[in-house]
Amino acid sequence: MDITDELIAKTVEKFAPPGGRGTVRNILAFSRVLKDLGVTIGLSQVIDSNRALEHVDVSSRGDFRAALRSNLVSDREQIAVFDRAFDLFWRARPDAEPNAPSDIPLPPDDADIEDGQEAQSTEELIAELAGAELGKDGETEPIMLPTYSPGESLSKKDFSDLGIEESRAISRAILLIATKIATQMSRRKKRAHRGQQVDPRWTMRKSLKYGGEVVELVRRKRRIKKTRVVLLCDVSGSMDCYSRFLIQFMYGLQNELWGVETFVFSTSLSRITHLIRTKEIAGALERISHSVVGWSGGTNIGRSLATFNRDFAPSLVTHRTVVVIISDGWDRGDVSLLEHEMQSLKRRCYKILWLNPLLASENYEPLCKGMQAALPYLDLFLSVNNLNSLVALGRTLQRMVA
Amino acid sequence: MSSDNHSIEKIQEALRKRNYIADRPLATVVYLSIAMGKPLLLEGEAGVGKTEVAKVLAGIMGSKLIRLQCYEGLDANTALYEWNYPKQMLRIKLEEVSRGDRSAVETEIFSPEYLVKRPLLEAIQSDGPTAPVLLIDEIDRADMEFEAFLLEILSDFQITIPELGTVRAKVRPYVVLTSNRTREIHDALKRRCLYHWIDYPSFEKEHEIVSAKFPAIHGHLADQICAFMQQVRQMNFYKRPGVAETLDWAAALIALNRDELDAETVQETVGCVFKYREDLNHLEEQLAAKKIDLDPAKPSAPPA
Repeated sequence: MDITDELIAKTVEKFAPPGGRGTVRNILAFSRVLKDLGVTIGLSQVIDSNRALEHVDVSSRGDFRAALRSNLVSDREQIAVFDRAFDLFWRARPDAEPNAPSDIPLPPDDADIEDGQEAQSTEELIAELAGAELGKDGETEPIMLPTYSPGESLSKKDFSDLGIEESRAISRAILLIATKIATQMSRRKKRAHRGQQVDPRWTMRKSLKYGGEVVELVRRKRRIKKTRVVLLCDVSGSMDCYSRFLIQFMYGLQNELWGVETFVFSTSLSRITHLIRTKEIAGALERISHSVVGWSGGTNIGRSLATFNRDFAPSLVTHRTVVVIISDGWDRGDVSLLEHEMQSLKRRCYKILWLNPLLASENYEPLCKGMQAALPYLDLFLSVNNLNSLVALGRTLQRMVA
Repeated sequence: MSSDNHSIEKIQEALRKRNYIADRPLATVVYLSIAMGKPLLLEGEAGVGKTEVAKVLAGIMGSKLIRLQCYEGLDANTALYEWNYPKQMLRIKLEEVSRGDRSAVETEIFSPEYLVKRPLLEAIQSDGPTAPVLLIDEIDRADMEFEAFLLEILSDFQITIPELGTVRAKVRPYVVLTSNRTREIHDALKRRCLYHWIDYPSFEKEHEIVSAKFPAIHGHLADQICAFMQQVRQMNFYKRPGVAETLDWAAALIALNRDELDAETVQETVGCVFKYREDLNHLEEQLAAKKIDLDPAKPSAPPA
């Protein structure tokens, strides 16, 4: 996450209560600063950090910092933000140095003002961010992007030009991939009639009704994990030559696998699961492109991911979900937003796969900023420009879930 | 044990006495964990001494260390308790011969005598006098279901066994969780813990650790080893060596009676430090290109 010193300073400014107002109040304000900077903090953690201060000598700055940090931070990435915010917050106001615990009770009338302040500044912050983003990226701005030109042999024919034969082969490859994803074995066991192992616990239970004589053996076997797949496809202008393949990929996966959700994005995100649920593939491109805003337009991966994380991820993404993003990574939006959204998606799902049609080209390196920002959060970064790469994808998936 | 007679300094001193060199923030967090009765979640790269904290803590408190090593598929039966089925079967068979009361047998075979205690139950049932240290090692290896299950235990310190009733902790165990961060721990669990990230040590700290573990080590050799490690950790290796590797290496060099580190010695003993073929090749290249200074004039720790 890209957090500038100014942003921290500003946030500190916003939440800092005027004058030293006692430890509890200051810690509350400080935790609000952190929350605004993206650190996840629960109320119990704030309460515990107050408790922690009863045990350390608060006049020692190092101990004070360690006590707050161990309670308020629960992620390595957040440590840096915490340290910077800590330095600004607790230095800017030397009178706010935690005093004797006697001033802990809060004046209740001040709390309301504080809340109002908070709401206002959060709104401001959002407005600010949105404004900056809009300024940088006009929705209708024409995109001039280098597209991938296939310079490879016939056997490695690029998906950008696709015949009937290839279509069939792709379908087969997708079927294979789908089977790999759908049949992950869990290490946990469930009771089953034809399992390999005997389940002693339940065998005992059952035997009780025959006076302890083991009449039936209860067996168990490894159960199959129901992995869900969420597919996020980039349909912006730079991906145009792959759109036929994309459609086929989406169709194939959706119809072979249980619980697939499909989204397309360019400057904004649309859910198209319901549009491709039918078996009939003909005319799909038109049908979808009619109902999708921004097909072949510019790209704003960050904002699309933000929409996904806000509106869909809570209900669709669990720790069993594999998120597959198909995009060339050319992003016209805010890179730090993209990074932030990738990070929060990563925390929520099981694996993130990024399939990039450009990756296979020899002189391609993930140099564009969007791709760079996303890379650290990917479990797999693969090419999908031809049939061989699809087969390779199938193999990789098998290894990954084994 | 009451927390009043423990201060951060005392903890730091006690850790040091047991050859664990902790910096002030770590000592503070350990102290807080004891004082507040909150579990301690330690994250960090492999081999920086996360597990060691729990072991040393048990030593300091003079209490028992109960260790639960996590792995994928770890379930309640292996972590909590299990009935001793063979023993139950035998009991039933014996009863058949003597033709006793059936319901009496049923109550009997589900009594504590037939219970196999696993680490979590053991930690909760421990009756002191000092609370045990419960080490839940490599929690990131267990699956999410287990984490959820752990939540319940770490917040209430009680376990319900359907056949026996609820077991409450008489003394709250000190809990230390470690994670190598192969995956994210769920927020709900993190929120219940004090969090601390153990980083690779600085040159000075690592030197101190080596000298503490091997008092007989030649000062110059220790300088060289630590400087080497500091440089190597800045480079692009697949698996960067931790403190554990440093100590292994130091032990190996002492066993070989070396008191000087030269390129040849490095080649011979580098198996202690790097365990991947790619890394070994990479190191060889770096050594050949003289990117690693084996004899730094002034040992300095390059800041990360």
